[in-house]
Amino acid sequence: MNPVKVLFFATLRHQAGVRSTEIEIPEGITVRQLKERLVERFPGLDWQVMDHCLASVNQEYCADEDIIPPGAEVAFFPPVSGG
Amino acid sequence: MSFPEIFAITEDELDLNALLAAITLDSTGAAAIFTGMVRGVTVRNHPHETTYLEYEAYQPMAEAKMKQVAEEIRARWPSIEGIAIVQRVGRLYPRTPTVLIACTAAHRDTGVFEAARYGIDRLKEIVPVWKKEVGPQGEEWVEGDYHPRPGE
Repeated sequence: MNPVKVLFFATLRHQAGVRSTEIEIPEGITVRQLKERLVERFPGLDWQVMDHCLASVNQEYCADEDIIPPGAEVAFFPPVSGG
Repeated sequence: MSFPEIFAITEDELDLNALLAAITLDSTGAAAIFTGMVRGVTVRNHPHETTYLEYEAYQPMAEAKMKQVAEEIRARWPSIEGIAIVQRVGRLYPRTPTVLIACTAAHRDTGVFEAARYGIDRLKEIVPVWKKEVGPQGEEWVEGDYHPRPGE
C-alpha cells in the first residue's frame, strides 16, 4: 500500500470538512481513482465538484489519468481566484 | 548576473514602498507596479457590495507558481531586472491592497508595463489562491475559469 497526503482547499475543504487527510491506496492508482475513494470516505464531497476540480501531485498540476507516486502530496481545489 | 526576486504569500500588510525598494538596482530607471485591492462596491456586470474577502492559499505551491510566472516573464521580456509577486491572505476589507506584481527595468520602453500585466493575468490563472466573498447577501467562494494543463 502507498500512503498519500491529501489536501483540500476552498469549496472542497468546506465539503470535506477537513483541510488534509492521510490515505493508504494501492500502488498504481490514478488521480481519478483517488477522487472516487475520497468521495466514499467524505460523504460531503460532491462528485460533480470533485470530477471537475483541479488537482496537483507534489505541487504540479496533473491529469485525472496520472498515476500517484508513493508518498505523494495530492491536492484538490477549484479553479484559482487569487489577485 | 542574478536579479532580485520576491515571491510570497503573507498575512501581513503589503508594504509597497519596501517591495519596490527591494527590486530596485543602481541600473533601474523604471518600475511598473500593479496592485489589486478589495472592491467594496461593484458596478460592472453584477452590481453588489462586498463586506470583506477571505483569502486562502496552498502556500508552497503558490510560491513555486509565482516563481514560474517570473520565469515566463523573463523568457518574454529579457530586459526585466527585479520581479516581486506577493499575495496577501486572510480576511481583507475594502480599499486594502491584496496583491502586488512589480517589475523593474532600466527604461520604460523595455516591456516593463506588459510584464506586470502578464504577471497579474498569469497569477489569476495558475497560482493556487482562492477567495470567499462575504457581503450583505451572504457568502460565496469565488471561482476562476482557467484549467491549467498538466505540468503547467
